[in-house]
Amino acid sequence: MKHLLMWNPVAQPRETVLYSVEYQGEYESLYMSHIWIPSSQCSPTNGLECDVTDDVTATVPYNFRVRAMLGSQTSAWSTLEHPFNRNSTVLVAPRMEVTEHGLHLVVKLEDLGPQFEFLVVYWRKEPGATEHVKVVKSGNTPVHLETMEPGAMYCVKAQAWVKAIGRHSTFSQIQCVDMQGESLPL
Amino acid sequence: MKNVLHWNPPEGLRGVEVTYTVQYFIYGQKQWLGASECRSISRTYCDLSAETSDYEHQYYAKVKAMQETKCSEWAETRRFYPFLETQVGPPEVALTPGEKSISIDLTAPKKWQRNPKDDTVSMQQIYSNLKYNVFVYNTKSRRMWSKCITNSTLELRWLEPSTLYCVHVESFVPGLPRLTLPSQKQCISTLEDEMSALK
Amino acid sequence: LRRCLISVDRSLIEKSFPEIKRALQTNDTFPNVTILSTLENLKSIQPVDVCCVTSRLLTFYRDRVFKDHQETSPEVMRQISSIANSFLYMQKTLEQCQVHNQCHCSQEATNATRTIHDNYDQLEASSAALKSLGELDIFLAWIDENHQETSTA
Repeated sequence: MKHLLMWNPVAQPRETVLYSVEYQGEYESLYMSHIWIPSSQCSPTNGLECDVTDDVTATVPYNFRVRAMLGSQTSAWSTLEHPFNRNSTVLVAPRMEVTEHGLHLVVKLEDLGPQFEFLVVYWRKEPGATEHVKVVKSGNTPVHLETMEPGAMYCVKAQAWVKAIGRHSTFSQIQCVDMQGESLPL
Repeated sequence: MKNVLHWNPPEGLRGVEVTYTVQYFIYGQKQWLGASECRSISRTYCDLSAETSDYEHQYYAKVKAMQETKCSEWAETRRFYPFLETQVGPPEVALTPGEKSISIDLTAPKKWQRNPKDDTVSMQQIYSNLKYNVFVYNTKSRRMWSKCITNSTLELRWLEPSTLYCVHVESFVPGLPRLTLPSQKQCISTLEDEMSALK
Repeated sequence: LRRCLISVDRSLIEKSFPEIKRALQTNDTFPNVTILSTLENLKSIQPVDVCCVTSRLLTFYRDRVFKDHQETSPEVMRQISSIANSFLYMQKTLEQCQVHNQCHCSQEATNATRTIHDNYDQLEASSAALKSLGELDIFLAWIDENHQETSTA
């Protein structure tokens, strides 16, 4: 997951304006409203965006504010209109590679980091096929799904799942493998 | 749960006879306790496994150096929590080849016991959700895959006959991050295909 | 009656707390006092009481510990904020259970959490808060063990 906070520049020709970002989680806004925490990446920064992924580490609403600084002058704070909750994150479908090792159906998934798990759905391509689901914890090593019957075709699709925000991505493209042939993206 | 305290000798005393004394403290208790086997020792480590065998407590340890009549300040560790910080060893792995299969039998790692006569405690009893990651490498196709299992047996079927497969296994405890140690790689060949054997 | 189960956010366990554990525990100058006692004591909590004890300990951290701790280091402040907000999220998850009345509080559960408050009151607030933060690994380990589908506790 990646969360970026963006803002418009303060017009100040031929001057280097710095910006400082601070945030408040719901805990601070409810119980310690005077507390604002300097962002880990952008206190200060001369850019117009800030990666706040490492600041938004809980699935609660976060307030953000930014101010400009030029020498000793500082602007008023500009506060995000609506608090941001990472449970609104849109997850993209994971990249997936399906291979057959002899009669073994194996899937390798993209490593998206420790927060991500994958829901892998696979089935034997035949009328009335039963779908099997396997949760794959991390993406870095190929995972054995099924020992296949010779001559049959098996299909696989996967979606990324982040338990911490209770959201999953759309499914990846279906990939099918038959015992003799190559992987056939559909 | 083999918990050994290590330290470096004081600087500038090379070649001089120095001895050490170790004490340990159970967090929340009242006072420091002496490590019975580490009083005036000359080695620079002390096995505190027995003293820290209750893995649900947290511990501190400290050591001081003595040279003739002089002795150093105590050097103290940070708080140590065996339940979270122990390194979970690998299971014992037994492989049995078949014609196109390999049977893998796993025995859960055991809690460290200094005295072999002590009762054996399986790490499965300490971590009820202990699982295993089995890694299988086909040396002919040079491809590997892994499988996560909870029970202690796995039957790899429909393998290639007369092919050398290498297997290593890692125990892991889902949830809180813990150090793990993979097992030694073991390689075994599937048996010859009966058909080709009859030719 | 389905049990109320929550999961501890991995980044909380793998990043937030480990990064500040050493600082917190090093500054704790009362090693002979413990707030949460030990995992051993929390282990005596029965499965039926796990939801209640979890909720009350989350409240204990929310209303006492995080408030009584004054932090100067921005980095430690960030990690404590991360923990406090993660606890808030966990509490909301538990509250959904309480709506369906699956968060029963027995006398044992009440006694256990009262002991924790009594331990806390033994020390001056800032010291007690610092110690409680340093004992988060005990609490997280207990949650991790008791909030699993299969845990019989």
